[in-house]
Amino acid sequence: MNKNHRFLIGLVGVTAVVTYLIWTGVSKTMVYYLTPTELLAQVIEDPTLHDLGLKVSGRVVRGSWVADETGGLEHHFRVEDLEDPSVSFPVVYRNLLPDTFNDSDEHVEVVVEGRFRQDGVFEATEVLTKCGSRYEAAPEAVT
Amino acid sequence: MTILGELALWIAFPVALFGTVLAFVGGRQQRGDLVLSAERAVYAVFGLLTLASAGIVAAFLGDRFEYWYVWNYSNRELDVFYKAAGLWAGQRGSLLFWVLLLAMFSVIAVFTNRKKNREFMPYVTGVLLTVITFFLCVLLFAEVNPFEQLPFAQADGRGLNPQLQNYWMTIHPPTLYLGFTAFTIPFAFAISALLTGRLDSRWLVIIRKWTLLSWFFLSVGVIFGMRWAYEELGWGGYWFWDPVENASLLPWLTATAFLHSVMIQENRGMLKVWNMGLVTLTWTLTIFATFLTRSGLIESVHSFATNSTIALIFLAFLGVTVSVSILLIIWRYDDLKAENEIQSFASREAAFLLNNLLLLGIAFAVFWGTIFPLIGEALTGKKVSVGPGFFNSVNAPLGMVLLGLMGVGPVIAWRRATKRNIKKNFFMPLGVGLGVFALLVALGSRQWMSLITFGLSAFVFTVIAVEFFKGTKARARIEGSAPPTALLHLVSRNRRRWGGYIVHVGIVMIFTAFAAASFKMELIQTLEPGESVTIESPFGHTYTLTYQGVSTALRTRNMEWQAQALLTVARNGKPVGSITTEKRMYLTYPAPVTEVGIRSTAFEDLYVILANAEDLGRALSNDAGGQRATFEVQINPLVGWIWYGGLMVAFGAMVGLWPSKGSLAEHRSKATPREATREPVGVTV
Repeated sequence: MNKNHRFLIGLVGVTAVVTYLIWTGVSKTMVYYLTPTELLAQVIEDPTLHDLGLKVSGRVVRGSWVADETGGLEHHFRVEDLEDPSVSFPVVYRNLLPDTFNDSDEHVEVVVEGRFRQDGVFEATEVLTKCGSRYEAAPEAVT
Repeated sequence: MTILGELALWIAFPVALFGTVLAFVGGRQQRGDLVLSAERAVYAVFGLLTLASAGIVAAFLGDRFEYWYVWNYSNRELDVFYKAAGLWAGQRGSLLFWVLLLAMFSVIAVFTNRKKNREFMPYVTGVLLTVITFFLCVLLFAEVNPFEQLPFAQADGRGLNPQLQNYWMTIHPPTLYLGFTAFTIPFAFAISALLTGRLDSRWLVIIRKWTLLSWFFLSVGVIFGMRWAYEELGWGGYWFWDPVENASLLPWLTATAFLHSVMIQENRGMLKVWNMGLVTLTWTLTIFATFLTRSGLIESVHSFATNSTIALIFLAFLGVTVSVSILLIIWRYDDLKAENEIQSFASREAAFLLNNLLLLGIAFAVFWGTIFPLIGEALTGKKVSVGPGFFNSVNAPLGMVLLGLMGVGPVIAWRRATKRNIKKNFFMPLGVGLGVFALLVALGSRQWMSLITFGLSAFVFTVIAVEFFKGTKARARIEGSAPPTALLHLVSRNRRRWGGYIVHVGIVMIFTAFAAASFKMELIQTLEPGESVTIESPFGHTYTLTYQGVSTALRTRNMEWQAQALLTVARNGKPVGSITTEKRMYLTYPAPVTEVGIRSTAFEDLYVILANAEDLGRALSNDAGGQRATFEVQINPLVGWIWYGGLMVAFGAMVGLWPSKGSLAEHRSKATPREATREPVGVTV
């Protein structure tokens, strides 16, 4: 083995490993970012969407939030399209909701992440809220 | 005062610009008088920026709501403490604060080098003033002037986001900013070395402490940010792989790589281009981190304020500086040839190189994941993103190899390790590591990634402990002193080496804490007063929390209401204390905020979150039967080791930074590469 190529071998080796990890990481964890309108239209054309990780951004439908505490905590609410409020879908979430979440007149914008089940209910694993443009969340406002 | 501040900011700009020109012309024409004037411009700019910052602070303290920035980030009710910190509460003030810190470090660099290293100083001053001028330009001309006034003075401000009203807020951003700005000094010296062609290892010796100083602040800043997130954002985690968090991690990773690879250049005369590249890359990433937040370039649920003008200006600036740096390196390529080559994979330089490649690999993966939404959309036309799962699955294996290397690097020989060297140094530590791993498997755990990490941590810790033990014993024998004295002398004789080992112990603790996170326990439970919930700790004991009820307060000074839930805690049935968690509704914020309850012990945190429940409304209206509340209870094993480990890292870095009497002589002897180790030119890396 040529001594001068030891560095190159290391470089190529590490690059290959990192590329492999990134490749598998992306294919395992990539999620599609959709609006409610896109979701409902695309899922008819392509039913495999039910099996993919999705992020959908929209707005909480006013008065749609019900917390069901029988048999563990379960939140039900609907998310509507920002542009076209007539388009909406139901969401179920089994965790604590963020403080800024509510279904009042304040039109909380949310991003729900999870899977769109065959029965048309979005099973969220994560619910993130955006509230009013001037309130930046903590670390970002200053970093 | 504030008017004076604004005036100072306007004067600072031409002074910095003029100084930049003087520095470069003075350097080119070898005119000492011009260079001296440029250095005075640095002092002047620092004075002016201090005035400008004082102006902003005065506006905050004086409730001057005619200023947009003050109006937007303060109100009359705000604590003085947070008013003073208003300087870095938002984008505009942060930019001013950033350039103030850079000017401060520039003054220190210029002052400490007023009599030495003169050949570097013209271009060092020039580069520093260029960066300062750029930031002043942004402040004054990109619609982010913190002195901008509203058409009408407002009676009261809009208040500060309550999540920022936390003591970490006063200390976390400045620490990170100190880290970001301090790295401009090594960058300036690198460019000056390239421009002047003085590419022996002297510039490296000059910037050694600067790099470590920057790294110290970056490390502490990132840890502070984690602690803040853990306490204030209330989901029981400390790292979310948010673009902004990632941006602060990137320069830390590359600076860490540089701290290691620089040792190869000092000892073996290799990696000169690589090191030049790392300094440039790290500095670029500090600027990238500074601007990423506000540009709106990457969709983050946290970044709302989008200012695309700023994004374009910063991207253009980064493009120019990176191109110039690369051109300079190509121009000086022949002078940057390596003096040695790697002789064996079993050598310290190979271990350090692998460490560098892994750190850069991690940095690349983090960068890739952060900008993935941009790439994905450009390639597929669809909006896509990757979440924390991506970062964990890529970085965990790379991080584990890196952890293992921390045990190898310090004790393996330079050039080529003999079998004896390997056997002598690794036999016992490897045994301890495997022993810990086997013990945990025997105890029934099957979390393989975590178990391997625990085993590796034990291995690394043993390697370092043995080094300390052997060194102390040898010193004690030579001096005939008691072990504690010997240890102290040992460390002070080579602060950099032993300080580095202390840092490694801290990093091992942090890795252990990361691995322990997979044993986290959590449950959600709705309780009536008097009801209990029991949670089992991964260490075997149980906690029983009994809900005692909510106490409320209405219309306090800056809050609409406050609801505090009290729970008593029993460990294995024995009362050990209580925990409170609350919701607060601030007058100036549209949603409630949570204060989590944390009960910390050395090995675990009991972490309780009061849920956002409609039931609270009944409690607040003093409905006797309306005390029902929902809680999330978590047990976070070893989470405290992140903070203790962080302290250890900071302590180790301080040991390395501490000036020692003999340090100058030692630097000089190291500065000239020993002829004996010179060998024919080999790999050019």
